[in-house]
Amino acid sequence: MSSELLSILFSFQPDDVELQQKREYDNQARNFVSTLSNISPQHFLKGADTAQDVLELLNPEVNSIAYIYALQARILAAGDSPKSPKSIPDHLRPGGVVWNKIAQFLETFDPVQIRYVGSEWRKLLEYVDRVARIMGTPGVAISPIRSGMLRLDPTTGTFTLAHLHFIRLCMENRSYTAALPILDNYIYSLPAAIPKAVLEQLEYSVPSADHINSGEYIHLKSGHTEKITVTDVQEYYMLGALAYIGLRQFKKAMEFLEHVLVVPSQGLANGLMLEAYKKWVLVSCLAKGSVPPTPRTANGQGIKYIRAASKAYEALAEAFTQTNNLPKLKAQINAGKDTWAEDGNTGLVNELQDHQYRLYISRLSKTFSAIPVSNISNGLGGSVEELTDYLETLIKDGHLNACIERMSKSDGEVVLRFFLDPTQGPLAKTEVQQQQALLEQTQRTNVLAEQVKSADYRLSLSKEYVEHLKRQNKKAAANAAGEAMDTTWDDGVEADEDIMGDMH
Amino acid sequence: MASSVEQSPFFQQARAKGAIVVKDPPKFDLDSYIANYDGATRLERLHHIGASSTYLALDAYRMAITEAKLGRNVKFYLALTDDFNKISPDDSLALVDTAWVEKRNRDVKQDQDKLEHELKSYKNNLIKESIRMGNEDLGHFYYACGDYTNAHKAYWRMREHCTSNKHLADMTLRLVYVSIAQRAWLGVQSQLVKVDASQLKGDEKNKLEPIVSACSGLAHMCTGNLREAANNFIHTSPQFLTLEPAAGIVWQKEVLSGNDIAVYGGLCALGSMDRSDLQTKVLANGDFRNFLELEPHIRRAISLFCNSKYSACLEVLEGYRTDYLLDVYLSRVLSVIYNNVRTKSIVQYFIPFSCVTLEEMAKKFQPTGDFGSIEEELEDMINAGILNARIDLVDRLLISPPTNPRYDVHTDALAMAEKYDHTLRLRLTRLNLMSAGLSVTPDKSQNKEGLDPRFAADGGLGASLRGLGSRMGF
Repeated sequence: MSSELLSILFSFQPDDVELQQKREYDNQARNFVSTLSNISPQHFLKGADTAQDVLELLNPEVNSIAYIYALQARILAAGDSPKSPKSIPDHLRPGGVVWNKIAQFLETFDPVQIRYVGSEWRKLLEYVDRVARIMGTPGVAISPIRSGMLRLDPTTGTFTLAHLHFIRLCMENRSYTAALPILDNYIYSLPAAIPKAVLEQLEYSVPSADHINSGEYIHLKSGHTEKITVTDVQEYYMLGALAYIGLRQFKKAMEFLEHVLVVPSQGLANGLMLEAYKKWVLVSCLAKGSVPPTPRTANGQGIKYIRAASKAYEALAEAFTQTNNLPKLKAQINAGKDTWAEDGNTGLVNELQDHQYRLYISRLSKTFSAIPVSNISNGLGGSVEELTDYLETLIKDGHLNACIERMSKSDGEVVLRFFLDPTQGPLAKTEVQQQQALLEQTQRTNVLAEQVKSADYRLSLSKEYVEHLKRQNKKAAANAAGEAMDTTWDDGVEADEDIMGDMH
Repeated sequence: MASSVEQSPFFQQARAKGAIVVKDPPKFDLDSYIANYDGATRLERLHHIGASSTYLALDAYRMAITEAKLGRNVKFYLALTDDFNKISPDDSLALVDTAWVEKRNRDVKQDQDKLEHELKSYKNNLIKESIRMGNEDLGHFYYACGDYTNAHKAYWRMREHCTSNKHLADMTLRLVYVSIAQRAWLGVQSQLVKVDASQLKGDEKNKLEPIVSACSGLAHMCTGNLREAANNFIHTSPQFLTLEPAAGIVWQKEVLSGNDIAVYGGLCALGSMDRSDLQTKVLANGDFRNFLELEPHIRRAISLFCNSKYSACLEVLEGYRTDYLLDVYLSRVLSVIYNNVRTKSIVQYFIPFSCVTLEEMAKKFQPTGDFGSIEEELEDMINAGILNARIDLVDRLLISPPTNPRYDVHTDALAMAEKYDHTLRLRLTRLNLMSAGLSVTPDKSQNKEGLDPRFAADGGLGASLRGLGSRMGF
């Protein structure tokens, strides 16, 4: 263990008074990173697993940059792309000493410092992912990766390949709930090329500045992500939608699928969009009871192609909305059995069947205020007892604003009574609750407005926009010349009026 | 006698086909009713009554057959005797007078040859007026024979030989007349537009106006466009009643009588207008009053409706249902009109109440037979969005749902905000993708391999996603 190395490692202290200026901090951090990247990994390995281990001496919260390099050195020593469980030494396996240190580091690192070592951060997450897969327990990687992502960027609103790897991991492991903290965050930015001039020298634009928008420090050159393609983004939304479907949050699933559909295209569609559209038709039936028009932002020509290829699903959706003709849906489902199975949508299609009963009953609430259960069972089939149980579960799960009444008369007739006033019954919302919901929505909208602003700002930095601006300025200059002539003419008119004024 | 008519093969067939068959005696007297009409419509009306009413079948068919023998329409005569034979085979008129048929057929053939020959010679002489008249005569002839298609063609051929605006207008009116006989209502409408746009001036034009509005009212009514029909009928000028024949047609006898206009107009208005419109546009309409005076019970029904006495109004209409079913034009749209009036009455009746028992509703609005019970009818109306109410099948009540505007506004605002929020997010995603230069582009390398070019890009990836749903155990 050379004290020389340690002195270098400790040379960057983020809390130094001199570094309060963001530009200073930026300079120092950059220099520090370039120094560290030149140190051979062997230096870090001296005294490994002893009390003099660099990993023990450094504080992951304060010396995050140094710590991540030390971790990388340890990983490199064991081979950073292991092929089989045998090639992973014990201390790097899940539960091992260094693995635990990695996990702890991902939960506690200093986010500002890690902005400067994007590629190291990415490699670390990839390594965790790889080890977990090779060991046959992909589940153990979910939590560290998630905390790593959330720690770097609490909003996780800038898309990185880590997003995609993470959701793939969750899907393979069927840990849909675990994916929610990431999925629930809206992706408001994609890593883009930001001009160098903006990244350096400017007090408020350097990576260490206090950014609201994580797109300012996660971009193509920061190393946090490799180059992304349009299918990466689509796949992320697609898998996200599947996770929501798994959790039966159909409305959110529907919104995610729409993100797949609005991808810009030159009058065509890809396989993911086709898959998304088929699922979207089914899921919107489940979420809304009917199929809304496709998002207007989607490419019309592309949607046309997709629709032509998914006629079976649209027919299914049509049968679903016809609650006065229940057997039709059943017939449609049976007729297209192979299609659903081939597309992997059998589960969703079967769900439609159950939902149609629910839709049928909730439509009754628009016609009746009270109806004997025996009347419903005439329309739906099944015994009164079964139906009563079914209705009770619907009410309990919050799908119906109604209650079951048993008449005191001897015949014991069971009655379903709907609450007509929305402020009564089990699903009632008080005004306070509503106001709360409105306030929350206002907040969300305000956040979104900020994100739009920053997207606008980033657009204004693009080459194309600058070109456009140049042309606009030229035009304006030409117009200004014309206006100058106009004003002289106006002056003449005013003079005329003055003369007239005098005459009066 | 009456029962044997009812059981006759003709009416049994009609019932099997689902045609309208009326048993009850109507309020009008056949002789005086039919005296209002002349020409082809007289025969047609008699035929309609005979084929629909078991009560009047014998009289109507006898009259029709006698009349038909005076005309040239042999086909119609044969059809009438054929029908009558199925109703009352023993009647002397039910047997086909073959001698007459042969003679008439010969006459018709002769006349046709003569007219065509004349037309040919006119054409050779190249005198426009003669050609026009030749065609006109041929048109009249075909019309009398009941060959409406050829009549239409003949009248249409007059067009290029018309020399004055009056000739043009007459020709168009003739076309309207034939189209009405053909029941080609779209044709009627398009010809009427031409009449309206004709370049006649002053008196000539004024004379045509009532005809145009009455006929377009009829055309709209028969195509089911009640609102337009009502507007046309109620703006028909009372001049119609005393109009001189136009284009050789006595419109108020050969097409529509003043009584017809009153009934059609009144019913269409009842079926399509709300109370205030009925009051201002129909009852307070000076022109239409003249017609309404001919049919006082229509006037009474409208005023009852305006005074919110819905059950009385429906009672009046029900009383005349038989009569109207025997009207040649009205019978087809009558159930629609009556249903409209009925649903409107129910909606209007329910407005001031928060809660009415179903028994009371059933008493006020006697079920007509279209629905099994009043609650089924109400259910249908609610489902169709006509009536804003809820049915309580347990306590047998019709309940007006409580409104909570404040709650609704909050809910709507929230829903709208969420929708906009989501739309904005979609747009931002798109914008970001574009600014990052990402978009779906055709993959040229795969096109060459003959894959479907539309899904060429990443088809493989999509395929790998297939089955993911089933793997998820969902």
